[in-house]
Amino acid sequence: MPLTFKGLFITILFAASLAAQGPRPAPPKPAARPLPDGPGKEITHRVCGATCHGPEIITGRGRTREDWSNVVNGMVARGAKASAAEFSEIVEYLGKNLPPRAGVAGAGGVGFIGSGPDDAHLVDSVAADRGKIIYDAECMSCHGAAARGTANGADLVRSLVVLKDRYGATIGGFLKMKKHPTTTGKPSASFDGAQVIDLAHFLHLKVTDTLRSGPYNQPVKVLTGNAKAGQEFFNGAGGCNKCHSPTGDLAGVGGKYEPVALQQKFLFPRTFALGRGARNVAPPKPVTLAVTPAGGQTVSGTLVHLDDFNVSLRDGNGDYHTWTRTASLKVVKSDPYAAHIELLDKYTDTNMHDITAYLETLK
Amino acid sequence: MKSAIFLLAAAAFAQTLDPAKLKQPPTDSWPSFNGDYSGRRFSPLTKINDSNVSSLSLAWVHRISVPSSGGPFTGTIKSSPVVVDGVMFFTIPDHVWAVDARTGRELWHFAWPSRGGIHIGNRGVAVQGKWLFFETPDCNLVSLSMKDGKERWHKQICDPDQLYYASAAPLIVGNHVIVGVSGDDLDVPGYIQSHDPETGERQWRWYTHPEPGTPEAKTWPSVEAMMHGGGMTWGSTTYDPDLNLIYFGTGNPQPVVAHKGRLGDNLFTECIIALNPDTGKMKWYFQSSPHDTHDWDANQTPVLIDGTINGQPRKLLAQAARNGYFFVLDRATGKNVVTSTFARANWAKGVDAKGQPIPDPLKYPQNDGALVSPNQAGAANWPPPSFSPATGLFYINASNAYSVWYIYDDTDKPEGWGGNDRGGYSAAMLQAIDYKTGKLKWSHKWEGPGGPRNGVLSTAGNVVFAADPLNNFVALNATTGQPLWRANLGSAISNGPISYQLDDIQYVIVGAGDTLFGFAMNPKK
Repeated sequence: MPLTFKGLFITILFAASLAAQGPRPAPPKPAARPLPDGPGKEITHRVCGATCHGPEIITGRGRTREDWSNVVNGMVARGAKASAAEFSEIVEYLGKNLPPRAGVAGAGGVGFIGSGPDDAHLVDSVAADRGKIIYDAECMSCHGAAARGTANGADLVRSLVVLKDRYGATIGGFLKMKKHPTTTGKPSASFDGAQVIDLAHFLHLKVTDTLRSGPYNQPVKVLTGNAKAGQEFFNGAGGCNKCHSPTGDLAGVGGKYEPVALQQKFLFPRTFALGRGARNVAPPKPVTLAVTPAGGQTVSGTLVHLDDFNVSLRDGNGDYHTWTRTASLKVVKSDPYAAHIELLDKYTDTNMHDITAYLETLK
Repeated sequence: MKSAIFLLAAAAFAQTLDPAKLKQPPTDSWPSFNGDYSGRRFSPLTKINDSNVSSLSLAWVHRISVPSSGGPFTGTIKSSPVVVDGVMFFTIPDHVWAVDARTGRELWHFAWPSRGGIHIGNRGVAVQGKWLFFETPDCNLVSLSMKDGKERWHKQICDPDQLYYASAAPLIVGNHVIVGVSGDDLDVPGYIQSHDPETGERQWRWYTHPEPGTPEAKTWPSVEAMMHGGGMTWGSTTYDPDLNLIYFGTGNPQPVVAHKGRLGDNLFTECIIALNPDTGKMKWYFQSSPHDTHDWDANQTPVLIDGTINGQPRKLLAQAARNGYFFVLDRATGKNVVTSTFARANWAKGVDAKGQPIPDPLKYPQNDGALVSPNQAGAANWPPPSFSPATGLFYINASNAYSVWYIYDDTDKPEGWGGNDRGGYSAAMLQAIDYKTGKLKWSHKWEGPGGPRNGVLSTAGNVVFAADPLNNFVALNATTGQPLWRANLGSAISNGPISYQLDDIQYVIVGAGDTLFGFAMNPKK
C-alpha cells in the first residue's frame, strides 16, 4: 500500500504496539482462572472446551443461572454438542459456581472475555459510577452517553487512548498534555489522579459494554406477532394441533416460559431453556429406536448411540443392548420432534412471530 | 563407503525443507497446512486404498501434556501437522511440538510465554529451510529452529489492546512469510501481511478495506465505518506459482450483527482475494457474502483446481463457504463459473450477475428474531475441505442448520456485535460436490447432533477420510460415499487429517482433542 491515507492510519494505529521488538519483558501473572471444582465441572470441560474456547471466557464474567442458561442456548447455535441432561448439568454448575461477581463490572482481558492482553484494565464498577458523574458533566456533551462519539467528539470506545490505557495512565497523560475542551470549561489538566482513574474505569466500562459479554445480550422485543394468525397457523398450515392442544399439553405454556424461551422451545424443542423465574422444566423427549436382528425379536428403547457402524439403546427395564450394524440388522429411529424439524423449512418469520404471540396467550 | 556418503547427506539435510516440495503433491512429507500450495489436501499415495482400508491399524498415539498455565481447554489440536524428513511439527495455542513421524515420540516442545489473547485455536506451522514459523494468541509471529525448537526471532503482527489475536498457519511463498490476523470483538480493520523469513521484518501489509475515494469505498456509508469494518484473515491461504497469486478469504464485517451503521456491500469483507505475494497488491476479489450480518466469515480454503469446463482446460478456484454457498471461479480473473448451495441456505434472494448471493433483508437479524439457515457455526467453517482430481469431487463436512438471529443493541450507534443468534437445529453430512456443476454427486448423512468440526482428506486410493459428530474417524469410498472403516477416538476429531509415506508405510494422522493418532497400512510380512 502506498503511504497515503491508509499509511497514515497504519502509523497511528500501530506505532505504539509495533515499536518495541527487542527482548520481551517477563509476562505478567497468568490471569486465567481455572474452573472451580464442583459437580458438573467435567462435563463443562468436555462440552465447552471440545471445539472452541478457553476457560477465560467462562470464568471471567459471573452470571446468574438464568443468564447462564441463555449463554448455553446461544452456544447451541455455535455448535455445542451435548444431551439435554448434560446441558442442564452445565447450567447448574455455572449458575452455582460462577455467579455474578460483586464490584466487578466486566472488562477486557483474560478473566473477562478471553480477548485482549492479560494485563488489561479490569473495571471496578463502583469507581466507574463515580467516573460517570465526571463524564456526564464534562465529556458527554461531545462524546455521547455511550462514549461512541457524536458529530462534535471522537468515539472513545474506538480510541487508542482508551484502549491502550491502564487505570488512567494513558487517559491522564492525554488530558494533561492536550488542554482538552470540557463541557464546563474546567481545564483538562486539572483532574486529580483519583478523578482520572474513576474516569478511566467508566470509559473501560463503555468498552466492555460494547463486547459480547456486555449488557447488550438480550433480544429487545420478541412479542410482535399476531396471536390470532398464530392460532390459525397452529390449527391449519402448521398442523401443530395434530399433536398439541392449548387446553391439554400446552395449557399454561405462556406462563411457563418467557417469550424468548417460548419462541426457542417451539422452534427447537431440544434447545436448552429455563422456565420463567429460572425454573427447571421437563427435559426434552428422547429419540427412540426399534432394532430387529435377522430372524430375531425387535428390541425397543431409548437411543444411546447410533452411528454408521454401531447401535445401542436402553430398554424400558433399563437394560442396555448393543449391536454391530449390518445389512441384515433393521434399525428404525423415531424422533418425537420430527415434525418440528420439518417445519423449519416451512415457517416464514411472520409465522414464527405469530405463533410466539399465540402461545404467549396460553397462560 | 556408499552408506557413509548416504549418512553424510542425510545429516546435512536433516529436517530441511526443499522449497520445490511445496509445489508438488505430498508423498514423503506434508510440508504445509494443506500439504501443497493447491489447498486440495489430496494425497497421491495408494498404499491405503478402498480395497484394504478396512485393515488400517493404529501405529502410535501422542497425547500432549501442557502446563496448567495454558488453561484446561486450550489443549485441543486443531493444527494440521507439518512433516519434513520424518519429523512432524504441530501446535496448539502457544505451544509447538516436534515428534517422530514414524513413532510419535517427542523430540522437543516449545512453550511461548503468553501475554493474553483469545486461545481459540492454532492452525499450525509453516516451514522454510531449517526454520519454522507460527502465530501466537498475543499477536506474535515466532520463528524456531526445526532442529531443537530454539527461538530465532519473534515479531509483533497485531495489537492485543485492540483485541486482535493470531491463530492462522502462516504460508511460505519464496522469501515471504504470509500471516493473517484474527479478532472481531471490537470494530478494527483486518489485514494480511508478509514478513522476511530471515529477519522477520515486515515486507508489506494489505488492509481488507478499499482506499478512500475508490469505487469500492462506496460500498460503505463512510470512511469511519470502513476503517472500523473488520474483515479478518484467519483462514488458510493457497498459491498458484504460475500466476504468482496467493488466495485467501476475508472475515465478517464490523459491527458484526447490528449492521445499521454499515449499509452497503462492505468490501473487501467476506471476499475471496487474489494478491501478488511480492507486492501485496490485489489482483481481483469476489464477494462470497455481500453485506454479511451473520458472522459468516468467508475464510474457508480457496481450493485450486486445474479442471475442465465445457471441454476447455481451466485454472479454477473453489470455495465451500460458511454461508452455505459453493463457488467456482476462474482464478486468473476472479470471474464466476459456478454458484450453487451445498447445504440449507435461506438468507439470499438469488444470485447476481457476478455470481454473488443477494442477501434478503428480511433475513438480517431482527429485534424480534429471524429464522436463518445456516446458523452461526455455518454450513462449513474453518475445517479444511478436500478436492480429489481422481474423482473430480470436492468434499466438505457440512451442516444443515437453523438458528434465530436477534438484534440486541438497537441504539443509534451499535458497535462490536450488537446482536447474536440463539438455539437451533443442526444436522451433519459429508458432501461430495461435482466442481463442474456445483451439484451433489453424493451426500453421506452422519448420525448424531450438530455439525462436525473436522477436516477432510482425499487420496488416490479412492478413499476420503472424514469424521462424524460422534468421535468416529471414518474412511469412505471416495466415488460412492460408502463408509469402509472407522475408529472411535473417544473425543471429537478436531483437525484435518494428513497422510505421508515413509519406508513403504503409508500413514494417516488425525487429532482428537489433546491426542494425535497415527494410523498406518503395514506391509505384508
